Amino acid sequence: MSSQPVIKTEKLRMVYHPGLFERAKVGLEELDLEVPPGSIYGYLGQNGAGKTTTIKILVGLQYAVSGQAWIMGTDVRNSASRRTLGFMPENPYFYEYLTADETLEFYGKLSGMERQARRKRADELIHTFGLAHARHMPMRDYSKGMRQRLGLAQAILHNPPLVIMDEPMSGLDPLGRRDIRNVILSLRDQGTTVFFSSHILGDVEAICDRVCVLNLGKKVAEGRISALLTGRVLEVELSASGIPAGDLPEVKNIAQRAWHDGALYRVLVDSEEKAQQVKSMLEKAGGTIRSMLPHKESLEEYFVRVTSDPARPDGAAEEAPVIKAPAHAEETRA
Amino acid sequence: MIVPAIALNTFREAVRDKILYVLIVFGVLMIAVSRAIGWVSFGGEHKIMTDIGLTAIWMFSGMVSIFIGTGMIYKEVDKRTIYTILAKPAERWQFLAGKYLGLLLTTLVNLVILSAFFIAYLWLCGAPITLALIQALFLTFVEMMLITAVAIFFSSASTPILSAIFTTVIFFSGQLTKWVVELGASLKQTAPWVGKVVYALYLMLPNLHNFNIRREAVLATQSNLQIAIPAREMIDCTIYGVAYTLAVLLAAHLIFNRRNF
Repeated sequence: MSSQPVIKTEKLRMVYHPGLFERAKVGLEELDLEVPPGSIYGYLGQNGAGKTTTIKILVGLQYAVSGQAWIMGTDVRNSASRRTLGFMPENPYFYEYLTADETLEFYGKLSGMERQARRKRADELIHTFGLAHARHMPMRDYSKGMRQRLGLAQAILHNPPLVIMDEPMSGLDPLGRRDIRNVILSLRDQGTTVFFSSHILGDVEAICDRVCVLNLGKKVAEGRISALLTGRVLEVELSASGIPAGDLPEVKNIAQRAWHDGALYRVLVDSEEKAQQVKSMLEKAGGTIRSMLPHKESLEEYFVRVTSDPARPDGAAEEAPVIKAPAHAEETRA
Repeated sequence: MIVPAIALNTFREAVRDKILYVLIVFGVLMIAVSRAIGWVSFGGEHKIMTDIGLTAIWMFSGMVSIFIGTGMIYKEVDKRTIYTILAKPAERWQFLAGKYLGLLLTTLVNLVILSAFFIAYLWLCGAPITLALIQALFLTFVEMMLITAVAIFFSSASTPILSAIFTTVIFFSGQLTKWVVELGASLKQTAPWVGKVVYALYLMLPNLHNFNIRREAVLATQSNLQIAIPAREMIDCTIYGVAYTLAVLLAAHLIFNRRNF
């Protein structure tokens, strides 16, 4: 497999002009991005962070004001770049009067597929996504989950080596989310690169190899999840038995919280050092330690930390370089 | 393959929409009642039938272009169906060309159905089917090519209501360009600036009057003569219509190609 990035952007910048008398809004600020082949790449950020803007530039729906982007080495302004990608927008919409068969036939033609190939593939996908019972039903009668599945089917119809999805799990029930997750994982297993934005960080943490976090149009962290989440311990919960009723003042002084829970005495502290101190104190008080549970930082907590304080994205590991905001970007935001 | 795929899909959308059938039914009704109007009018039954029939075909074909065409691009953006189309290896001009050709095919089908009914009705009523009549129907189609392009142009830049207003204004005012140029000439002495503006308007507006040979067709029917509009005139009108259409579509492309979705 080639090591050439599947998606590459260089100093990509987007500015919106909402109206004559309104100030321009910066959508993206000098974004540099490289998505390696064969990975599941999560693209994270709060609402308005620039995720959808980036995706729209990559698939040719918007034009960046400056900078450049490539799909498999082809400039995104060239329509040939879209031969190698499949795109599923957020809440995909289709022509209400078409059936699933007609919809896939239409997108197959647009993708340049031969008649036999597109019919065979459409049939295969309709069965894979459990839409066989509704294949002759017009889109207007489809549920959100069914549309989402068809959206994914049209995106991978021509077997593209890259699939870009904008919030693919948005608004789906747990089963629907599980189905999409499984499809993403199977695509990766077949060698397809999957690039998707999401707010559902639990899913991202479960399936992504790499993530990029955007904040106010700027990249604040990027890298392998394992490198970003360094195992930093946020809290430790201790439980001990044999502690007499009443408080232990020395424990209370350093604990975030301490309380009796039936026969157990539970203590919550905010570091491993304090946990060791509390452990000694409890043993000294005649207790027996039953458990010590460290609570490590999750992707969600990491995300909150780096996006709520962009000036201190210290969770970045060696693989997660932090892009320092250019001075003019700060001025624009101000 | 992309342009025909989008065109056929656009045609399919129109065919599955009730408005097309409503317009065809009203067109047929208007042609059908023309005989009754002919009975109570001065000037001959066949003349009135031809006059009303040709006008009905022109008007209802124009209405198909305006009602379906002016919301076409806007709806694609508003309903976000354009997202999955432009994300395929389709150029924007291909999308626009496909939408235009699909709408034109819809207008053509409407025109052919109404014309077939009209000619059959005239024949059943014993009215002569003249060459001028066929020429008038052909030039109506050329006019619709242009009006459809105007509808697509406004639809690619504006809301459906504004597009419908602008296209309707052009559809009717384009018939008056002959008088606009006369008005400009008469204002040359009294208000030269107004005269220049009116003349500029004349140059910008499509001269739809060129395509209106309905009067000649009616006269041919009335006098039962196989007179025809000279071929040279027909070719000139067609070239004018095609050239103007291409210019409007190019302008639509220039606007559409710059847009962010």
